[in-house]
Amino acid sequence: MANLGIFVDMLFNAFTHTALLVFVAGFLYRLYEFKNTPQPLKIPQTPQATTASGVFARMAGDVLIFRSLSKGTKVLWITGWVFHFTFLILILRHLRYFVYPVPGWIVSLGDIALPLGVLMLIALIVLTLRRFTNERVAFVTNPADYFALLLIIGITVTGIMMKFEPFRPDIVAVKAFFYELFTLHGMFGALIFHPVHVPANLVFLTHLFLVLTLLVYFPFSKLMHAGGYFFSPTRNMVNNPRDVRHINPWDTATEEGNNG
Amino acid sequence: MADEKTTTDSPNDVVQKLVHFEKIKPKPAELTGEINTPCISKNASFDWKVQLLADKDQLNHLGYPADGLIPNWKEVFLKKMDEMLNKYRSVRLFMDICVRCGACTDKCHNFLGTGDPYNMPVARAELMRKVYRRYFTWPGKLFGSKLVDGVDLTEEVLALWHTYYYQCTECRRCSVFCPYGIDTAEITMAAREILNSVGLVQKYLHEIVFKAQTIGNNLGMIPDAVVNALEFVQDDLQEELEIEDIRIPIDEEGAEVLFVTPSADFFASPHIESLYGYAKVFYQAGISWTMSTKASEGGNFGLFIHNYEHMKKINSRIWEAAKELKVKRVIGGECGHMWRVLSSYSNTMFGPFDHLDPKYPRPQHICEFTLDLLNRGALKIDKSANDDVVVTMHDSCQVARGMEMGGHPEGQYDIPRGVIKGVCNRFVDMPQETIKERTYCCGAGQGLLGDDMMPIRVKGAMPRMQAYSAVKKSDGVNFLALICAICKAQLSKMLPTYGFAMEEAGGVHQLVAKAIVLGAKEGV
Repeated sequence: MANLGIFVDMLFNAFTHTALLVFVAGFLYRLYEFKNTPQPLKIPQTPQATTASGVFARMAGDVLIFRSLSKGTKVLWITGWVFHFTFLILILRHLRYFVYPVPGWIVSLGDIALPLGVLMLIALIVLTLRRFTNERVAFVTNPADYFALLLIIGITVTGIMMKFEPFRPDIVAVKAFFYELFTLHGMFGALIFHPVHVPANLVFLTHLFLVLTLLVYFPFSKLMHAGGYFFSPTRNMVNNPRDVRHINPWDTATEEGNNG
Repeated sequence: MADEKTTTDSPNDVVQKLVHFEKIKPKPAELTGEINTPCISKNASFDWKVQLLADKDQLNHLGYPADGLIPNWKEVFLKKMDEMLNKYRSVRLFMDICVRCGACTDKCHNFLGTGDPYNMPVARAELMRKVYRRYFTWPGKLFGSKLVDGVDLTEEVLALWHTYYYQCTECRRCSVFCPYGIDTAEITMAAREILNSVGLVQKYLHEIVFKAQTIGNNLGMIPDAVVNALEFVQDDLQEELEIEDIRIPIDEEGAEVLFVTPSADFFASPHIESLYGYAKVFYQAGISWTMSTKASEGGNFGLFIHNYEHMKKINSRIWEAAKELKVKRVIGGECGHMWRVLSSYSNTMFGPFDHLDPKYPRPQHICEFTLDLLNRGALKIDKSANDDVVVTMHDSCQVARGMEMGGHPEGQYDIPRGVIKGVCNRFVDMPQETIKERTYCCGAGQGLLGDDMMPIRVKGAMPRMQAYSAVKKSDGVNFLALICAICKAQLSKMLPTYGFAMEEAGGVHQLVAKAIVLGAKEGV
């Protein structure tokens, strides 16, 4: 394998570590921020379930089949769902680069990975096109919305390209790169000018670069809907305000059971 | 908007020009029975402003600036916004997680009616998000508004907020379709309170908050006037029915039930017809009840502006009255947002209600109460008395999307319909996408009932009017049953505007009043 030079190696070593750190810390911090902001009143949106298990089931419906979204335009619902779930399966498929030995179910995903990738790309293109063609959506679309879409399209396209010659990277080298990156040597190699070698494949490096950019961008963007949904008071509160008293954390009188 | 700028104008001069109220004659849409999504037409409703409150005594009492926009408004604005973001998880979260997917863009009655793109829920919320991204996120703080699609605070931004946050009726329909449940009502409420803090205060809504706090009801009736009004209603009722002991009791200590209802029920039409219904139901059930001069208002406009203190002050009157009158139950009449505050928020603000009878939901909705009596056979009903009407029901937004009734997630749809079906032979629902959780707002909720809002009220009523005309055509429906005082006021005005008879709108208990047979007691 050709060597791209120590500086490219160092760059990718440092970027990978930083991006992961920013993503994990940023994501957790944002969730902590959501959790720590008080919700003074009970505002579930009916017909919300009156029991905690019912609320769990309703939220699972939102997460797994996009229940709320399904009530509106079907095109958005289906393309949105296809995009998210092909993305999820393909992320899981990538575990084979980080897990030893590779579990059987991940191996078996190999047969459908390419069709899923193409499906995901189609869904992304539809989602992008509707931001131009639907005048209402066009009105509310911000540059940031295109940025996120183009970033993920870039990731998908480079991902699909690597399925074909001559872009196919050396899988063993890729595995070795990630493996070494998370050893003690890999963690600090870049600092002492002994970075882990990145596989010298331009498509792979573009793919990696875009993924890392996405990770860094994630906690500071609308992509936080991924974790934020679970804190949404219209969805996660139980519909029983008369039976179970909700305490407003910043109304001190309510905490003492003030009776007016 | 805002072309000329002279250096001599103070911020208040600039903003007063921008938010100036002008009387505009509204035009109703043509009725086809279908609700079509319009093409967007920019600034279609930008000129429709609410009137600002200028009464200094009232403003001082409410704790808002009394001389219009204050000179240091940017500072106060951001401080208030920061407070809102830190006090309400709903507001903070909804700033952060919207992906602008557009699922809500064709769901707002005011957008469907006006085609103004800022009446699309996401665009309305973006008015606040733009400020949020610029001033409350670190990329915005560091790199300014351009990079984060933000906006710098100007008087023009205030004018946009003032215009479009007062064209939202906080009905929460958009939130039904939002994949994350983003509730524009929460954002609108917060935005209004931020506007209040810098001195842009709506006349209609805030006058009512003032009256409800200081006098005890939205109409500003002093206790004597309330007593007189109710005595008058009682006399009327006794004369008409020739029953001497049917009563509308007021301030009677030791009654079983404290009954709280919007003050409009005391004499407005068609509201008063439901008051007859309540009185007849209590009379026939043989349950002692009382109204209260102190709690002579069920409505709570404090909710509409996310001002917890105002809301709490208004609500406190109900619970003080309940204690003073030593009642066992509190029952709420036909009102939308009142029910939400009373049932969902009261428990937080003034619970737990150990002084009330634990056998019944605390507090209880009049429809729960009446349906229970009907199911137990405690009321004698002659359904044929309502044979002149084919009834449909308009679900009030705050009830339909607010909270359970009868302990069931869908009780708020089934229980009022249960009451209607219990007293009428002919009931037809409007199209599914316009009722229950997907109900359209009447068009005047949450502070938009003032006459100054007539253009948006007419346009916003369009979806409901189309749905009503559809069942009128297909099933000969001629009565629109309501369980909310604002819906009654709005729709009894909108029906004639759209070419129907005013009398076709009325309360659920108006139907009960017609069908109930008084006197003859059957097993309770």
